[in-house]
Amino acid sequence: MSSEDNFLEVSDLQEGIARVVSIENGQVWLEPEQKGSCGSCSSSGSCGSKGIGTVANRLEARRFPIPNEDGLVLGDRVIVGVPGNALVKAALTAYGMPILTMLTGGIFVSGYGDVPTLVGMVFGLVFGLFLARILARRLAAQGALTPQFLRRV
Amino acid sequence: MQEYVLLMISAALVNNVILARFLGLCSFMGVTTRVDTAVGMGLAATFVITVSSMVDWAVEAFLLQPFGLGYLRTVTFILVIAAATQFTEMTVRKVSPPLFQMLGIYLPLITTNCAVLGVALLLVEGRMSFLTSTLFAFFSSVGYSLVMVIFAGLRERLALAETPLLFSGPPIGFITASLLALAFMGFSGMSH
Repeated sequence: MSSEDNFLEVSDLQEGIARVVSIENGQVWLEPEQKGSCGSCSSSGSCGSKGIGTVANRLEARRFPIPNEDGLVLGDRVIVGVPGNALVKAALTAYGMPILTMLTGGIFVSGYGDVPTLVGMVFGLVFGLFLARILARRLAAQGALTPQFLRRV
Repeated sequence: MQEYVLLMISAALVNNVILARFLGLCSFMGVTTRVDTAVGMGLAATFVITVSSMVDWAVEAFLLQPFGLGYLRTVTFILVIAAATQFTEMTVRKVSPPLFQMLGIYLPLITTNCAVLGVALLLVEGRMSFLTSTLFAFFSSVGYSLVMVIFAGLRERLALAETPLLFSGPPIGFITASLLALAFMGFSGMSH
């Protein structure tokens, strides 16, 4: 593979910073570093976005493993990359598909009244979530949702 | 069919949630630094707004109106929206943990998003059928997502443009948002 091909491949990735929080069985668990407007304004001390079940817990819930092929140790800060369109694919799979099937289910039975329409939408939503699960498994198998280790900070 | 097309244009463009009704401005300014995050936020908000509006219509039709509990509407709807957001989070986490890792960060931002409550209260005020209410909520959130993506594209370009120091960052973003609102005012003529 030429260096130009490699450059194009790397530049298609969106980068983010993560920290090694644990090492188990040849895998390192990384936790993304918080960035963005949350908690960074002068009112962060009284902001409802901090506290139980919010930022800290959600970051913990977003921990992900990668193979430890580069000798990472606890506390290392690394740059990881996610395929450029991964977020759009993930959002369309998780939210777009169920919404479309839900509305389709409702429109099909809309002629029978409000309650059947509600029931039709619920069934459509459940079906859409089932389809989303299948699509998500395919995306995960293709590696479209998995961050890749790029380099140390 | 024509009724639904008019509903789509009215909800998404003429009475746009962000630029005409000025709801959801915190997420509009906070999550539009990149187009892909705006898409993620827009789709997540679309899902939550549509699902919570469905439940809000049912609560209004079968609980609040029959028993004369209209004074509890705001509190009840806030509770429903919080529950819908939690339901969405649990569902995405169950459907696919990798998806949740990628998308879960947007959901807390939707719980406190006034656009969700605003759309629910508007559809109750409109006294529409269940399907029309749901479609109104869906198209309103499509308009929300559309404006988020447009503004994110503009902000990405602004980040690369030469801006006077005093205007760089949020100030030029707000000026751009106001110009976008002026542009969307052109759609108001379509309602006549």
